[in-house]
Amino acid sequence: MEPTKDTHATLVDLLDRILDKGLVINADIIISVAGIPLIGVNLRAALAGMETMLKYGVMQAWDEKSRAWEREHRKKTLPSLVEGEEIALKVFGSHYYSKGIYNAWKPGYFYLTNKRLILYRQDFDEITFQIPLEEIKALVTREEAHFVKGKKKQVLYLIDKQERVHRLSAVETNQLKDAIVQNLETIGLSLEESPVLLEFEEIPIDFLIEGEEVTHRGKKVWYLAPASGIQQETWRPGHLYLTNKRLCWWYDFERKLVFEVPVDRIVSVNTEMRKTSGLDSKKEKMLDVVYSLNSAKTIASFSGGGQIDEWQEALNRIVSGKISEETETCPQCGKPAPAKELLEEGCSSCGWVSPGLKQKTENREQRTEKITA
Amino acid sequence: MNEARYLYCIAEGNEKITLGNIGIEDSEVYTIPYEDLCAVVHNCLSEPYKSEDNEVVKKWAMAHQKVINTAWERFGTVLPLGFDTIIKGEEGITPDENMKKWLKDDYENLRQKLAKLKDRAEFGVQVFWDPKIISEGLIETNPEIKKLSEEIKSKSKGLAYMYKQKLENLLKKEMEKEADRCFKDFYEQIKRCVEEIKVEKTKKLEEDKQMLLNLSCLLFKEKSKILGEELEKIDHLKGFFVRFTGPWPPYSFV
Repeated sequence: MEPTKDTHATLVDLLDRILDKGLVINADIIISVAGIPLIGVNLRAALAGMETMLKYGVMQAWDEKSRAWEREHRKKTLPSLVEGEEIALKVFGSHYYSKGIYNAWKPGYFYLTNKRLILYRQDFDEITFQIPLEEIKALVTREEAHFVKGKKKQVLYLIDKQERVHRLSAVETNQLKDAIVQNLETIGLSLEESPVLLEFEEIPIDFLIEGEEVTHRGKKVWYLAPASGIQQETWRPGHLYLTNKRLCWWYDFERKLVFEVPVDRIVSVNTEMRKTSGLDSKKEKMLDVVYSLNSAKTIASFSGGGQIDEWQEALNRIVSGKISEETETCPQCGKPAPAKELLEEGCSSCGWVSPGLKQKTENREQRTEKITA
Repeated sequence: MNEARYLYCIAEGNEKITLGNIGIEDSEVYTIPYEDLCAVVHNCLSEPYKSEDNEVVKKWAMAHQKVINTAWERFGTVLPLGFDTIIKGEEGITPDENMKKWLKDDYENLRQKLAKLKDRAEFGVQVFWDPKIISEGLIETNPEIKKLSEEIKSKSKGLAYMYKQKLENLLKKEMEKEADRCFKDFYEQIKRCVEEIKVEKTKKLEEDKQMLLNLSCLLFKEKSKILGEELEKIDHLKGFFVRFTGPWPPYSFV
């Protein structure tokens, strides 16, 4: 029997030798990646693993089976389209879904058609997100931390005509964005240029009363809910809103306002470094809002990390009645104007109006229409 | 391109020569002599070669092997290095100085290794069997198994099923015993023809071919014929196959 050295048949033998063996050198003078050439690991897995497995059919059988299952179980692979609707792009992606305490990226396939943008989960034959193209007002992409530590992902913020913000992400987020822009152009629509994306978590604000306008909001704020029944006082997560009428705190879990006080009842606002609980917790900056209802003074405490100073400032403006002189910049064109004027009349230079004001005007118009009709 | 040296092997000889553009990515391969030794290298950047593309990596691996083979033919005895062994320079020290310092410090050790490997080569020996053929043979020759398989024929359906399981278990156990026995026999048989032997891990291959033993053997180049004859005997046994590769530079014995 003669030994063979045919390079093809003995490739695995060769690799075994040159990747694992050979003279060992004092590590000080050589370049290595943790002592192991990375290449060796990759190569071994690829050559000795997959190739052999595929060659001898192990994977093929498995592959066949899973494909058959797929064929059987995924007969429906397209969302139902309306007449005249055509798919322009299909790309894997996800949509950030947030209802109550349930927050998750829901994956599926984005279908961009000449009419809509759809996120479709074929496993469940379910459309989890959709928006008619003409409802898209603006698109912003932003790089955000991926849940895999140290990785970044592109997130596409889609702002609709109702000013609602939707968080989307796709395998090629920019590709999706470009395709939407292109599709809009072909049907004669355009997006708002350089839109401003506010830095807060999206919560539907449906608790506002007539003529009420949010003037300050932020990220998560904890509220020290007073004791009730057997429940001791507890820190609860939620969101604080300052409007032109009230200071309200929205409880995330119950999805309702559990604290509210008219702004003219706020007596004073202070901050203090305190422990959040009696245990070994660290000291945190607390916001104490003193208000008087029925001539009894009460304190409401909030905590929320770095934003507490902002809140103190915003509330102090109210307390000292300075809001009417406060200057703000228009969110659309950036022109400085008195905050009150911006909120109640809109921007004089670019014509921007706040969503609340717009709603009000529309309501008024509808009412007028009804009357004339 | 002068930052580091990709080291293929250490060879006997003190010439400063070039072997031509036969290295990885067609780099020029040359020798750096120290006393009566020389390092076979090419100039490279001080970072490892890495690629996601398997074809590229395969090509590099082949080139690595080719250079060592060329040096082996040219110089007689070599101490091969693994892929991606790159000697770097340091602040104020060139890679060549680093290399020479290492050759100097390790000189005795390297000389001893070269002497041990003079005129020797490494051969790969892998013995496989076809479990189907072997188990059929066992049913014929092993009295216990034979008896059990005869009994099944006279049993009712339900009992036959139970007996079949029993038979399978017994067969499995006997196969393992047989594999152990073969390993010992073949190992002894092969060991007689070689100078040094290393047992490598066995690998899973195809369904109808099981690797029984995987050896790296060191022997005089011209004695490969004797080993070949011995292996031929094993290869002729029913249900057995032998893979015999080489001669390799002595990767496993440095």
